Amino acid sequence: MSDADDPQAPEGDDMLAAEYVLGTLPLPERLAVQRRLRNDDAFAARVAAWEDRLAALNDSYAEAPAPDLLPAIEARLFGVAPRRPSRLRLWLGALGGAVVALALVAIVLVSVPLPQGPTYVATLTATDQAVVFKAGYDPATETLTLTRTAGPGPAAGHDYQLWSIGADGVPKPLGLVSAPQDSQHVPGLAPGIVLAVSVEPAGGSPNGKPTQALAAGPITAL
Amino acid sequence: MGLDAERANATMSGMTDDPVADMLIRVAAQDRAAFRALYSAASAKLMGVCLRILGNRAEAEEALQEVFTRVWVNAARFDAGKARGMTWLISIARNHAIDRLRSRPATMADEDALQSVADPQPRAETVLAARGEARRIAACLDTLDPDRSAAVKGAYLDGLSYQELAERFAVPLNTMRTWLRRSLLSLKECMDG
Repeated sequence: MSDADDPQAPEGDDMLAAEYVLGTLPLPERLAVQRRLRNDDAFAARVAAWEDRLAALNDSYAEAPAPDLLPAIEARLFGVAPRRPSRLRLWLGALGGAVVALALVAIVLVSVPLPQGPTYVATLTATDQAVVFKAGYDPATETLTLTRTAGPGPAAGHDYQLWSIGADGVPKPLGLVSAPQDSQHVPGLAPGIVLAVSVEPAGGSPNGKPTQALAAGPITAL
Repeated sequence: MGLDAERANATMSGMTDDPVADMLIRVAAQDRAAFRALYSAASAKLMGVCLRILGNRAEAEEALQEVFTRVWVNAARFDAGKARGMTWLISIARNHAIDRLRSRPATMADEDALQSVADPQPRAETVLAARGEARRIAACLDTLDPDRSAAVKGAYLDGLSYQELAERFAVPLNTMRTWLRRSLLSLKECMDG
């Protein structure tokens, strides 16, 4: 046990990998592991070995029918909602080869990583799903766009306020996000940082700390 | 070994051994039709993962959208020589669902823990016995104290945190952490040995 308690020992790394795969680590440690996985191959191999060891438990996950979320997923990935391929084919047939060529160009264009537009995203949810925010962040322009996709705006006399929570766990106040959609300039956001929304008295937090947590979610790279 | 068994083995070692992996390789080459086929083949299993960990359908659907978004973006990182396709997909789904769980406001996480304790969802763990490697982890889990084995499964399958597991088994948090670390070391020894 003594080896596993010492984060300096290789066994400490192996235990960290094991606890990450088991899922028990708190969020800041999980996000630190995910950052490390990007450029520490030896550590990534430990995580992969643990995933392999525990993978047989996956059989215990019962299947659950999922609704057809593909249109929403494809809209998010490809920028258009490719409804009903049959209709698309009809259009292409009607309009001829030039359009097909254009469409191919368009597919090539959206297939390479887009130089602009959000490359980091976050979904902020409350446990009861009463309110959901979607965030997109473009690190090139440092623009954060937050859209409320479900739930009501703040009650009279209140505002919603956005916060970022980094590795130190201290919420840093950002702007008010009471409108259905809001863009603001926020430098330095990156995967691993958690975005959170709180309910505040009108005008924002009176003391620089969140008054009532509403929804939260981690930033991830697309 | 009979001829039929030999032929079956030869087929097993070929390309068709892991259809999900084949789809992922095509998705990595930006094949949208393969992406749709993958959704048909894997969404029910991954929805099951998200639903069990997150405990509510609306959030599980949100999570599933994000999981498939990541699958498209990261498919090139999949290595068929290192992992089975479904195992790789489930890792993405589990990691995302657990990240969501851990980023919930603290008071809400507690209510949820209670919910998942109240609803232990008996599962067909017997399915485990059907496969060789599964039999191995099942056998290794059996060598653990029943409480500890249940804690490992609760953590892995339901995404329970140390805090929630400590409450569930009525032991101090540090004791739970020690339990699980020792259990993981025993499992490793049992499975690798």
